[in-house]
Amino acid sequence: MLWYIVRRIVYLIPTLLIVSIIAFVVIQLPPGDFLASLISKAEETVDQAQVDALRERYGLDEPIYVQYWKWISGIVTKGDFGRSFEWDKDVSDLIWERLGLTVVISLLTLAFIWIVAIPIGIYSAVKKYTIGDYVVTVIGFIGLAIPNFLLALVLMYIAFRYFGQSVGGLFSPEYIVADWSIDRVLDLLSHIWLPVVILGTAGTAALIRVMRANLLDELSKLYVDAARARGLSELKLLFKYPVRVALNPLVSAVAWVFPALVSGSAITSIVLNLQTTGPLLYRSLQSQDMYLAGSLILLVSVLTIIGTLVSDILLAWIDPRIQLQ
Amino acid sequence: MQPTHTRLDDPAKTDSQTLLDVKDLKTHFFTDEGVVKAVDGVNLSLKRGETLCVVGESGCGKSVTARSILRIVPNPGQIVSGEINFQQRDGEAIDLARMNPKGREIRKIRGGEISMIFQEPMSSLSPVHTIGSQIMEAILLHLPVSRQEARKRAVSMLDLVGIPRPSEQLDAYSFELSGGMRQRAMIAIALACEPQLLIADEPTTALDVTTQANILDLIRDLQQDSGMAVLFITHDLGVVAEIADEVVVMYLGRDVESGDVDAIFHDAKHPYTRALLQSIPRYDSRENRRLYSIKGTVPHPFARPHGCPFHPRCDDFIAERCNSIDPPRHKLSQSHSVRCLLYSAADEAPPKEDALS
Ligand SMILES: Nc1ncnc2c1ncn2[C@@H]1O[C@H](COP(=O)(O)OP(=O)(O)OP(=O)(O)O)[C@@H](O)[C@H]1O
Ligand SMILES: [Mg+2]
Repeated sequence: MLWYIVRRIVYLIPTLLIVSIIAFVVIQLPPGDFLASLISKAEETVDQAQVDALRERYGLDEPIYVQYWKWISGIVTKGDFGRSFEWDKDVSDLIWERLGLTVVISLLTLAFIWIVAIPIGIYSAVKKYTIGDYVVTVIGFIGLAIPNFLLALVLMYIAFRYFGQSVGGLFSPEYIVADWSIDRVLDLLSHIWLPVVILGTAGTAALIRVMRANLLDELSKLYVDAARARGLSELKLLFKYPVRVALNPLVSAVAWVFPALVSGSAITSIVLNLQTTGPLLYRSLQSQDMYLAGSLILLVSVLTIIGTLVSDILLAWIDPRIQLQ
Repeated sequence: MQPTHTRLDDPAKTDSQTLLDVKDLKTHFFTDEGVVKAVDGVNLSLKRGETLCVVGESGCGKSVTARSILRIVPNPGQIVSGEINFQQRDGEAIDLARMNPKGREIRKIRGGEISMIFQEPMSSLSPVHTIGSQIMEAILLHLPVSRQEARKRAVSMLDLVGIPRPSEQLDAYSFELSGGMRQRAMIAIALACEPQLLIADEPTTALDVTTQANILDLIRDLQQDSGMAVLFITHDLGVVAEIADEVVVMYLGRDVESGDVDAIFHDAKHPYTRALLQSIPRYDSRENRRLYSIKGTVPHPFARPHGCPFHPRCDDFIAERCNSIDPPRHKLSQSHSVRCLLYSAADEAPPKEDALS
């Protein structure tokens, strides 16, 4: 097991390298460099010495591999992701809190999806073709069919109209720029359930179907009958054997939840005014804020790779068949 | 449902040697397309320590009969009538057909008094649990032992069924074992609590010939040592000749002929039994005879023929009678009975108005 993990981590290094190169290429794709657009946009003439200093810092006159080297070594050694000219701030000042919030929302959403979907999926499979199964199925399909941003608008309306909660965003107005404190965390928790429910609905609906199908497959397997023929009670039997096996594929969901939530949910995040990376990435791409965009793409990719690694390790841990293959 | 307990001194069941007595068992599947009468009137009886072989073509209801005894018939199957009388270790006789299939009482029987091994050793073990966890599960369910003792017993069971390096293999997963080894492991699980009856549903069909022979020998040896009875399901008459004390021949969900192994092999009465015997390949025949095969195929379960279910394929078909009269069980001797109009007197077989329903 340990050997397996080590091997996977070693494999990680070339993957990260390739991902960082791709992210850098994305930065370089538009014509010109960001200094040129900075100068062309600036109202007053820009101090030539300052421009030269920046050119020197990012190696803009040098070959592309030197630029890449400066960029990546800055990130690895100093955590310097470059500068966002649109915000006129260092990228690293912009992204860390948002990235943290994104990870928190992603993990909470994943937990929400599992906690809701797994029991319902089990129920729906065990009670196949009963009223309960049909009800769950219909609700599940509605959940799949409603676009997230619409659900967001509806839930925001309800929360505002009937519960008088300040909706949108992850904080009440007074906490948006406040320093971290217990009160700010509590305020975050009172807001975060809404995006978690909205972002998790479609995933929950999908996972119910997956869980139901997996479990139905497993329930008809011979090893279940064999365990029953040993005298095991129905409930113990259900959880020890078929549910256990049916859960295995769900672990791979850990891998896709990050990219889906970071990039796929940008529209919902904009509607909900979430301070996550989705809207930031969206805007940076629109305004060609390339160091910001590149850094976000890089970090999201790294998160995805880590998610994949975690899910693979989990899978190897719970499914003994994996390691030998 | 309350199981009916019948005391031993019940005059109908004085024979204390009889371990299992299935009477007119009917197990039907109520599917959306209609009712599949998978088992439709099976009788069989098995004495302590004996081996009963159930033979018949694919689809004749052998597995459903076996599952009915353990009450693990899958949905939408149900036992609709009949008795499955079983004599427990404490001497009490119970009717398994009347038990709640999810109840505590039947669970005590499963694995404790009656065990079953299945046709597919490849899929009858959990893919994500060790062999040991599954043997120990059976032991801990039925025997009053600690985990440590259960583990010890599990190791000795693996040793008993001839799995090499048993204490190591205890922690092996099923995918690490060959088909033969998996079936041995299944046997170890089945026998871990010393059941009175082992139901083996074609345990060697999925294995290669050498392994088949090894597994058969193993079952026979274990049976001799423990004195358990074996209900052996197969369609291989060669195996029957080797291991059976008694034989039941099934066709379309019912027993068409039953008797001791000599009666079946040397004095077969039912045309179906004879046809089965003729279709065994023989090495001693000089000429390249074509193998005999029964004409036609097993009818679709929804299209059960009227009268004797075998009549459309029968060479000795009696017009007007076989297609209208449902043949009753006719006792030829103490241990030999047959359901065929060739042997029962006309007055014994009143024509049925509607043989279908
Ligand atoms: N779950 C089910 N639903 C509907 N019909 C079923 C089901 N299981 C079995 N049957 C029907 O019951 C009949 C008997 O099946 P069974 O498995 O007992 O045959 P078998 O004699 O064991 O055959 P084989 O030698 O192929 O194992 C078949 O006609 C089959 O179609
Ligand atoms: Mg079968």
